[in-house]
Formats: sequence, structure tokens, C-alpha cells
Amino acid sequence: MREIIKITIALTISCLVAGVVMGSVFIVTAKAKKHNEHLNAQQTMLGLLGYGKAKSAPSGLKLYNIYRYIITESESKYLGYMLPVKKGDRTRYELLVLDLKGQFVSRHSLDILPEATIDPKDRKTALKSVLTPPVTITYADTTIVASLNDKRIAYLLPGEFPGFKTFIKAMLALDADFKILGLEIIEHEEDPGLGGEIEQEYFKNQFKDKPLEKIKKLKVIKEPLPEKYRKYLEKGKWKKGTFSKEDIAVIQKNYQDKDIYALTGATISSVSVTNGIRNMTKKFAYRIKILDKVIASRNVPVSF
Amino acid sequence: MAETTKTNIQLFINGLLNENPIFRLALSMCPAVGISTTVMNGLLLGVAVIFVQVFSSCTIALIKDYIHPRIRIPTYTLTIATWVTVIDLVLSAYFPVAYKAMGIFVRLIVAFAIITMRLEVFASRNRVITSFWDGMGMGFGFLLGMVVLGAIRELMGMGTLLGYDILGFRPLLFFVLPAAGFFLIGFIMAIFNYVEIVYKRKTK
Repeated sequence: MREIIKITIALTISCLVAGVVMGSVFIVTAKAKKHNEHLNAQQTMLGLLGYGKAKSAPSGLKLYNIYRYIITESESKYLGYMLPVKKGDRTRYELLVLDLKGQFVSRHSLDILPEATIDPKDRKTALKSVLTPPVTITYADTTIVASLNDKRIAYLLPGEFPGFKTFIKAMLALDADFKILGLEIIEHEEDPGLGGEIEQEYFKNQFKDKPLEKIKKLKVIKEPLPEKYRKYLEKGKWKKGTFSKEDIAVIQKNYQDKDIYALTGATISSVSVTNGIRNMTKKFAYRIKILDKVIASRNVPVSF
Repeated sequence: MAETTKTNIQLFINGLLNENPIFRLALSMCPAVGISTTVMNGLLLGVAVIFVQVFSSCTIALIKDYIHPRIRIPTYTLTIATWVTVIDLVLSAYFPVAYKAMGIFVRLIVAFAIITMRLEVFASRNRVITSFWDGMGMGFGFLLGMVVLGAIRELMGMGTLLGYDILGFRPLLFFVLPAAGFFLIGFIMAIFNYVEIVYKRKTK
């Protein structure tokens, strides 16, 4: 009996010590970690817009977050958009509620600072304070609108879709006409060497510059990737001037309207990324058109 | 096993060759097979293992007198888990670039047999300095094994080394798959055993 008590106490103490060590390290590093994650996301976004080390972002560039919520009120569902609006010189957030047919329902001012909207908890408290209690609010997604000197230049869509093994997290950049500006795979667990190749330039860049009409019917073709096209897709690796303007024009003419070339040995991963991108773009284009119509008809002074 | 009589350098070499974790002890095979698809992956996992192994070995060597013998394995696991968490958190907070490349590997290490085994067999019976060198030897031995495996698999499977195109074509895609990892480990193990037999015959 004494032995058991001894063991129990010893185990408890070791667990406590380990817990205290891990906990204190977590507290010390939590702030820096969050900051890094935020910085990382910011960098990915700017990278997709074509800004990076070589070309820094102009000062007129602003990124605004739009949050979409699904609001359920006794059987009926509504869509709630949290939009940044201009109030004098400052940016404030407003909630725009639409029904599923895209008709305007209501509009509320939110008591939340733009910086605080990054935290989902703060957003929820702000939303709850304007909506009458028997509703449930479910977060759906975030869209980032990039505007340069008060002109919309791009939409950034963080998204998630099922891959071969687990969900693939990606961020897609569309320009104002829904042409793909770029694709970044943020997190995935596909097989290294096979499906893992989705994060390679020669796969990601195939999506670049495809217009909405093409994306709507985008498929995967099981043909080997032509060597010339591959070299062009990986042009970040080569020295400047490897491709003359004529070369680029020829390649774009030949391959612009092609579908996506599947990765060798990873058809399912290629298909899931292609389908994911297609659905994301299609749904987003549909939604933003409805939202824009309502914004225009109700004269909401949105920032973007 | 009583306290070791080997010198520090001997301990280090011991981990690299005589008791190489992958090829001689055949421990931690699952991650070795799963991760060693490229040189870079092998290298990063190896570096992560070195850190965790050395830190855990030193910790256990320090507190070995206070560990109740009946609960030593849970204590080892806790120690490893604590170090893995600490390294993971510190990397993510202060070395974001390294974390981006190494993050997933560090978290894998909690389940590594080689570290627990080294704590049980060596660190719990030896002083801190010798445990440190044993940890280094084992860590570098694992790194060596992973890099060798990774190099062969990457070269044969994808025709590249460290991401640079060497062969210009892909000889055998099969080498990237886990099954090839087992074949390759078996093959290198055979070489190690053969060298040992020859060596013993010569010294007789």
C-alpha cells in the first residue's frame, strides 16, 4: 500500500513539474508566436499580390477583411456579412444581413475596432450585442479585399478542401474580374514526393492567369507536363532574361487555355486541388456579386 | 549495465557506427521509413532528434537518483514530451524560418523509441557529461542514417539531391514509397553486418 501511494505521489509530482515547465514556456512564447503567425499570413498575402523582397508594397495598398456568418433564427437562415465601412476618417465595422435569396434584411453598426476583428471571440461578442438572442451565429469564412488607392485590385480567399489524406489549406488570389492571380498551399499532409508536389511552383503556377470562364470548367488532364511549359512555370528559379517576351507570348498562347496537368502518381491530389479551387472561385464570384448589388442599392459606404 | 568506461569520443563514435540507431539497433524505423524521402527531410528530422535526445539525456542523468524505479518509463516519456513541447514553442516563437521547415518533424519525436531506449539503457545509469556525449552520438548516428537513406531515395526516386536536379530524369518512382525505405534499410543493415563479420574475423 505504501508503495502505491509513493508511486502515485511521485507520478503526480512529475506530471505537475512537466506541466508547469510547458505552461510557463507557452506563456512566455505565446505573444511572439501569434505575432509570427500574423506576419506569416500577411507575407503570404503580399506574396500572392506580387509584392515581396524585390518589390515592396506601395503605401496605398490596404487589406480589408470581410467576415461571413450564417445566422439561424428559428428555422430560417440568413447570411451576415461583417464589412469595414468609412466613418469620417476612420474605419468601422457594420453587419449586413441578407436572406438566402440575396435580398437585404437589416443593417447594424458594430462596436468593434478594426484591429480587434482578427480575434473570433471579439467578433462574436460584437455580433451578439446587435442581434436579438434566439439566434445562433456560425462563422463561415473570411475574405480579404486588397485595395490600392481606394480601388479594388484583388480578393484573397483563404480556403480549405479535402485532399487525398486530410484537408488542404490554401490561399487563392483573384483579381477584380475573378482571374486567378496566384495560389499558395499553406498546409497539407499529402505524400512527400507524390501528392506533396502540389506545393511546387510547376503545379501551383498552372492556375495563374486563368479567367473565371475557364475556371468554371477547369479539369485535370492526365498528360505529361511539357518540358518547355514546366520550365516557364518554374521561372522563379531561372535567371532573369531566360525567357524573352516572344517566348512568353508563345507559351501563354499555347497553354493558357489548357486544363491542369495532373502530377505523376498523384491524380487524386491534383483533382482535389483543382476541384477545390474551382468551387471556391465559383461560389465566391456568385456571393460577391450579390453582396455588391446590395451594397450599391443601400449605399453602404464600404471602405474597399 | 554498470557505468560506462568508454571515453567521450568513443561514445560518440559508438552512436555513429557500432550502435547506429537505424542500421544496428533497428529502432525508430517507422519515422525513418516514412520521412527519409529526401535529404532535406532526413537532415531536419536528424537535427530535431539530436536536440531532443541530448536535452532529455542530460535531464534524466541529472534527476536519475530521484526517479522511482517503478515509474521510470512514464517519467522518460514526460521528459521527452516536455522537451519536444518546449523546443516546438521556442522555435515557433523566435525562429519562424526554422520552424517552417522543422515544425512537423519536432512534433513527431515524442513517439521515438530510440530516445526512450537511450534514456533507459544509458542516461539513467551514467553521469551528465557521458550522457551528453552518448546523446550526441545517438543523435548524429540517427542523422547520418537518415541522410544516407534520404540521399539514395531522393536520387533514385526523383533524380534530385537537396532539390537540385542531378540526373535529369526519375529512375524509379518506387523509391519514394515507404516500401522502398524498408528494402533500403534492410540492404544497408546487411552491409553493416557484413563489415562487422569481416572486421571480427580480421581481429581474431
